Amino acid sequence: MKTEKRTLRDFTSKPEFSSLLILLMMFALTAILQKNFFEIKSIMRNVNAFAPLILVTMGQAVVIISGGIDLSSGTALSLLTCVLTSIMRKNDPMTGLYGIIIAFVVALLIGLINGFGIGYLRIPPVISTFATSFIWLGIALFLRPTPGGESVSWFGVFYNFDTLKDASGFFGTLSGFLPPSLLLIIIGCILWYVLSKTKTGRYIYAVGGNSESAYESGINTAKTQIVACMINSIFIFLAALFFVGQTGSGDARMGDPLTLRSIAAAVVGGIALSGGRGNVYFALVGALILSFVNKIIFFANIPYAYQTLVGGAIVIVAIAGSQAYISYSTKTKEIKIG
Amino acid sequence: MNILEAKNVKKNFGGVVALSGASLTCREGRITGLLGANGSGKSTLSKIIAGVYAPDAGEITYLGKKIHYKNPHEAKQQGIGMVYQNLSLVPELTVWQNIVLGDEKNTGYFLDDESARERSADIVHKLLPNIDIEKKVFELTPGEMQVVEITKAVSRKPKLLILDEPTAALEKAQVTSLFKLMKELASSGVAIIFTSHRLWEVVEICHDLTIFRNGQNVGSMDFDKDEKDVKKIIFYITGSQSETGIAKTCIEACGETRLSIENLSLGTMLRNISFDLKQGEILGVGGLAGQGQQELMLALAGNFAKIACDAKIDGKPIKLTRPSNAIRNGIVLVPGDRETEGLFSKHSVFSNLILPKIGIEKKSFIVPYRKLKKECEQIANILALKAASLDVPVSTLSGGNQQKVVIGKWLGLETKVLLLSDPAKGIDIGAKADLYSYIVNQVRSTGMSVILYASDTKELIEYCDRLLIMYEGSIVATLDTEEITEENIIRASMRVEEK
Amino acid sequence: MNAQARVLTVLDSSFFSKYKKLIVAALLIIFLFVLGEIIVSDFLSVGQILLTIKLSSFIALFGLCQMIVIAAGGSGLDLSVGYTATVTAVLTAKLMDGKNENIWIAILVALVLGLIIGVLNGFFISYIKLPPLVVTLAMSQMIQGAINVYTAGKNITGKPSPILQIIAAKTTGFVPNIIFLLILLTIIVMLILHKTRIGVLLFGAGANPTAAHLSGVDVKRVRFLSYVVSAILASLIGLLLLGNMGIAFKDMGSNYVMPSIAAAVVGGVSLTGGDGNYLGVVLGAIFLQTLTNLLVALGWGDAGKWTGFGIVLFLLLIVYVSNRRKR
Repeated sequence: MKTEKRTLRDFTSKPEFSSLLILLMMFALTAILQKNFFEIKSIMRNVNAFAPLILVTMGQAVVIISGGIDLSSGTALSLLTCVLTSIMRKNDPMTGLYGIIIAFVVALLIGLINGFGIGYLRIPPVISTFATSFIWLGIALFLRPTPGGESVSWFGVFYNFDTLKDASGFFGTLSGFLPPSLLLIIIGCILWYVLSKTKTGRYIYAVGGNSESAYESGINTAKTQIVACMINSIFIFLAALFFVGQTGSGDARMGDPLTLRSIAAAVVGGIALSGGRGNVYFALVGALILSFVNKIIFFANIPYAYQTLVGGAIVIVAIAGSQAYISYSTKTKEIKIG
Repeated sequence: MNILEAKNVKKNFGGVVALSGASLTCREGRITGLLGANGSGKSTLSKIIAGVYAPDAGEITYLGKKIHYKNPHEAKQQGIGMVYQNLSLVPELTVWQNIVLGDEKNTGYFLDDESARERSADIVHKLLPNIDIEKKVFELTPGEMQVVEITKAVSRKPKLLILDEPTAALEKAQVTSLFKLMKELASSGVAIIFTSHRLWEVVEICHDLTIFRNGQNVGSMDFDKDEKDVKKIIFYITGSQSETGIAKTCIEACGETRLSIENLSLGTMLRNISFDLKQGEILGVGGLAGQGQQELMLALAGNFAKIACDAKIDGKPIKLTRPSNAIRNGIVLVPGDRETEGLFSKHSVFSNLILPKIGIEKKSFIVPYRKLKKECEQIANILALKAASLDVPVSTLSGGNQQKVVIGKWLGLETKVLLLSDPAKGIDIGAKADLYSYIVNQVRSTGMSVILYASDTKELIEYCDRLLIMYEGSIVATLDTEEITEENIIRASMRVEEK
Repeated sequence: MNAQARVLTVLDSSFFSKYKKLIVAALLIIFLFVLGEIIVSDFLSVGQILLTIKLSSFIALFGLCQMIVIAAGGSGLDLSVGYTATVTAVLTAKLMDGKNENIWIAILVALVLGLIIGVLNGFFISYIKLPPLVVTLAMSQMIQGAINVYTAGKNITGKPSPILQIIAAKTTGFVPNIIFLLILLTIIVMLILHKTRIGVLLFGAGANPTAAHLSGVDVKRVRFLSYVVSAILASLIGLLLLGNMGIAFKDMGSNYVMPSIAAAVVGGVSLTGGDGNYLGVVLGAIFLQTLTNLLVALGWGDAGKWTGFGIVLFLLLIVYVSNRRKR
C-alpha cells in the first residue's frame, strides 16, 4: 500500500469544500444584487445582521458533534435577553456588569441542565431539549411577560462602538469600521479553538462519533456531553449580549426562529446530524450561506409572502444535499470484523 | 515469574456452562496460545481475565495479587490489555487519534498532538509500514482497523496482553509483522495470551500452549520442552472419544433438488457460493465462527437487496432480494440472534407467532383472532412450549422457549426450506433435544429441507446428512455423511493442510 | 406466599404491566383534579371536567397522528401536523362558505392536501432517510410559507359548514359533541390497531425493524404510510378546528403540535416505537389540559404554564425514557 499524502483531492471530496463553493456563489450573487455591498457601512450592517445566527449555529454545531441536538437554543437565547434586561437598571451602569455575570451563570446552568438530560440521564436529545425549551420560555415570560426591560447606556457597545465614541478616541476610530458583533464572533472562535486543543475537545468528537467506543476507551461520556452543552450556551450568551446591545430590551419570543435555522445552517456547513464529524468554523460558513440566501431572496424582490416558503424549501434541499453528500462519501459506521 | 495464574475458573451464562474449571498460567515474556473448538471456553476465559465478565468461581492472580475486576477499565489500568473482535474505534477520528484515545498526554493544558503522532507512528508502522496515520478509521479495511486496535492496546504498555483472534482479518504480510511485534514485546517482558483458529500460527509463534475443550483445559504444552506435534494437538482439541457412538438421526436424502444456489456473492462477506439442497435433506454449514455462515443464512432468507445470486427453488428461479420473496417461496429463517433479529421482546407470544402470517397474507384485513389463537395453541403444543399463557411478553420466556417461538411463527406456512442459524445457542440440553427432535420429525414427515448452521460441531455431526465448511466467506469443503467426524470438521475448518 | 410476595406477583402479572402506563396516566389525572379542588374550589365539577375533556380533544386528535408515526419507529415525529391542519382550514373555509352541501368538496380537498404533505414527508423520511425532526419541521415552515403566499394581502374569508360547527363546537345537553367523536374515534382506533393487520404491521415495524423485515414486512413502506396517514388525519382535524373556531386564521394549528407529542409521551407511547395505546394518549391529553388548567387557576399565567409544562414533561421523560442502564 502506498503512502497517501493529503491531497487536494481529499479536501474536495469533503462536504466542507462544497459549502465553501456555495458560499462563494452566494457571496457573489449578493454582491451583484446589493448595490452598495462593498461599502463599509453596509458590510458592517451585514455582519451585524448575520452575527446572531452565526453564534447560535456555532454553538449548535458543538452540541450536534457531541452526539446531541439543541431544540431549546431559541428560547434559551430569549431567556438570556430577559435576564439581562431584568437585572440592568438604566441609571446604574454597574448593573450592566451584574447583568452580564448573572446571565453568564444562567447560561452555564442552561447548558448544565441540557447536558445532564442528554449525557447523564440519556434522554433522547430531541425530546429532552424540547422539554427544556418550555422551561426557558416560561422563565423568560415570567421575567418579561411583554418585551421590554431596561438596559444600561453602555450596553450598546455590543452592537455598535459608536456608543463609546464620546468616551474615548480609540473607540471612536474603531466604530468607523469594526462592528462589535465581529468581535463577539471572534471570541466564540477563540473559545472553540482553545477547547478543540484539549482532551475534552477531542472527546466531543469521540463521543459523538461512537459513544460505545468512547466509553470503552475510558472516556467520561456524560461529562463530555455536558461540557458541549455548556459551550453551546456560552455561544448563545454571546448572541444575547448582541441582541440586548442592539435593542435594549428583552423578549421572550425573539429567539424562536433561530432554533431551526441554526440546525439547518450547521447541516449546510457540513455538520452531520449523527454526530462525530464536522468543523465548527464551517458551521459558521453554513450560517453565512443561509444569511446570504436570505439577502438574495430579499434583493431579488421575491414577494414577502413567498419568503417563508422559499426559505423552508431551501432548508430541505440544503439538508437533503448535505446528508446525501455525507452518506455518499463515507462508509458505514459499524465496525465489526468477522 | 508468573504474571497471571488462573485456577479452576467457572462461568455460567444463564444455565449454559461456558467454563467448568479452567486453569491457565502465563509467564513473563512468554506467548501463551489458547486453542480449542468453538464454545470450548477460551474466549470466555480471556474476557474474564480482562474484566469483561466476572467469574462464578475460581481464583485469578495477577502480578501476585488476587484480582476481581468489576469492569474492563480497572483491568486496563492495572496493565492488562485486550484486543478482541468488537472494536473500540471511533470511525470519524484518525488512526493516531484512535490509538491514543483515552490516553492522551498534554503539554500544559493542551493536547500534545505531536508526541501522540510519534507514539502512534512508532508502533503502527511496525505492523503496517505504509499506513497514513492521518487517515480516518472508516477509510481503512477491516484488517487495517484490527491493526489500529492492536496498536491501541500495545501503546498502553500493558504487562499482560490478550489477543483474541487478532489475525482473523489480517493478511499474510500483516500477520508476519504482528508476530515480529509480539516477539519484541515478549522479549521486553510482556506476557501475551494469543488465540487463533489458524493452527499453524499458534504453533509458530507461541512458547506455551493450552488447549480447551468443553470449558476446561485438557492439555498443555511447553514448546521449550515438548515437540510441536500437530496430531497430538488435534487429539486434545477433539478428544479421545470417537463420535461414531452417537446415533445418527438423519435419514437418507430424497432425490430431487429442492434449492439450487449458484454464484452467490455479497461484497467480501460471501464469495461465489454454490451448492444444492435436496428434498428431505439436512445440510449443515460449519466452520469456525464468523466465517460468513450467519451471513449466508441471512442472504438465503432474502435479507440483502444487493445480493448477486442465481437461485432456484424446485426448479423455479427466484430472486433473493427481499424476505417476502423468500418467505412466499417457502424459505424461512430462524435467525442467529433471536433478541435482535427474531423476536419482538415486549410483545406477547401470540403477537410474535402470528406476525409473518399477517405480514405476507394480504387477504385478511381483520385479524381472525380466534382462529389464530387456536392455531397458536396447537403450535405451542407441538413444540412443547412452556409459557404462562400466549399473552405474556416473550421476553419472560426462557431461551429455549423463546427459540421455540422463533421457529413456531413459521409453522402453518408452507415451509420448503428451513434455515436455522445456530438455533440451539444458549439453550439448555432438554430444550435443545426437543427442538431438534421436532425439526427432524418435520423433515421426515413432510420432506422439508433444512440448512443448519451450528456453532457446536456436535449438533452438526449428529443431525446433518452433508456438511459444508465455510472459511472467509467461501465454501472450502463438503463432507458427505460418512466423512462427518469431529476430526475432519476441525481439520477442514482450521485449514490444517494449508501452511 | 407471604403478603409481600403476593403483592409482587400481582404487580408482575401481565394484566398490570400491560396497563401500567394507562393506570399511571389515569391516576395522574385524578391526582391533579383533587389537587385542583383543594386549591381552587369548583375545580372538580362535572362542568369543569367536561370542559377540560373538550379542550383536550384537539390535543388528543393530533396525538393520534403522533402516536402513529412514533409507533412506526425510527425516531418518528410529525411536527408538521399543526400547519397541515391550518392550511386545510384556510383553503376550505372559502369553499364551504358556511353551507352544508359544500362539505364534501371540503373533505376531498382536505384528503388531497393531507396526501400530498404526507407523501412528501414519508418520502424524505423513509426512503431518503432524513431525520423526521428536521423534515417535518421544514415541511411545516414550507406550509406556513404557502399559507403566507395564499393569504398575501387579503383576509381569510369563509365559514365552516354548520355540520362541522355542530360536531366541534356545540353540545348535546351538557356534553360537548366532540367528546362523542373522541370516544368513537378511540374505539375505532383501538379496534384497528389491536385487531387488524395494520396494527400488527405497525407495531412490528416499530418494535424491531430487523425482525419485522426478516418476517416479510416492508418496513420502509410501513413508515412511509404512517406519515401519509398522519398528514391526512391532521388535515381532517383542520376541518374540525375550523368548525370549532368559526373562522380560519394563520396560527390555528401550531399551538397543538408540542402538546400532542407530550400527550403521546405521557400516554405511554414508547418513543423508540413498537407500542402505543390510544386510550393512553387521550388520557395523556386530558392530563396535560388538566395540568394547564391547574396552572392557570393558580394565577401563574403563561409563564407558569410553560414552565410547569416543561418541568413536568422533563420529569416524565426521566421516568419513561431515560436510559441510565448499567454499563
